[in-house]
Amino acid sequence: MKEERRYKSGLIPSLNPFGFNIERWSYTVHRATGVILVGYLTAHIFETFQLGAGSAAWANTMAALRSLGPLEMVGLWIVAGSALYHGANGIRLILNEVFGKLMGKPILPVYPYSPTSLGRNQRVAVWTITAVVLLLWAWAGLYLLAGLGVI
Amino acid sequence: MGEPLEDRGNSLMKESWNMLLTYLTAAALVFVLTFHLLLQSPLVGKAFEDTLSFGVATGNLVYYRVVFGLLLVTAVIHGFNGVRVLVLEWLHPTKMGWLLNLVILVLMAFLLAVGTVTLVVVH
Repeated sequence: MKEERRYKSGLIPSLNPFGFNIERWSYTVHRATGVILVGYLTAHIFETFQLGAGSAAWANTMAALRSLGPLEMVGLWIVAGSALYHGANGIRLILNEVFGKLMGKPILPVYPYSPTSLGRNQRVAVWTITAVVLLLWAWAGLYLLAGLGVI
Repeated sequence: MGEPLEDRGNSLMKESWNMLLTYLTAAALVFVLTFHLLLQSPLVGKAFEDTLSFGVATGNLVYYRVVFGLLLVTAVIHGFNGVRVLVLEWLHPTKMGWLLNLVILVLMAFLLAVGTVTLVVVH
């Protein structure tokens, strides 16, 4: 019964990475960051549209964003982290799915199944991406938040 | 031997072409988005606040108009095709797939129009 619930389809179960392998975590974070980026992209297109309306409209837009206080830079920091992770993990996915790299060679599916696609190369790639992204995200945080005196 | 399986479904194009488009736009985004982020980074020798000034923002948009145009097109196509795939994976809307595709296409067209107007008007 517990296993059935674990593999249930639908919005929330498909997002739940707990109890699954690192590839599932990567899947969940890739999708979550993708949604964040699409939301930001939409807002950013409308924000940039104000440039065409002249300097006064742009100043008003910037003033409205400043009125959010530290939330503005924290939001940008989250967007920066999302872009870093989505991009780096996306490169891994292109290597996997387009070029068949890091996947291992296919083997006969003998029980208990151990997918070669989750071999050492994949794990190293996922953890390397995580480490590099966290490092760059910390740097982006210092750059964005320190300027406002938040940290 | 029957006909090859058709994966067009309710889409305007085969899903295999959609995936190819997703990969191509993703690869392009790695470069153009990195370029965009570098323009906002300390590597250009300006404080972040200064990169958001009207003069710098319009200057960048005018000087790198082609790059920003490519960024707009690739980001909108990749992003909203991604949303479409997410909804398909979660809700499996086999009967309402056409409506999902229509909504996504309208949103894409609208945002591309807004972005294009910005790129054309800013000088």
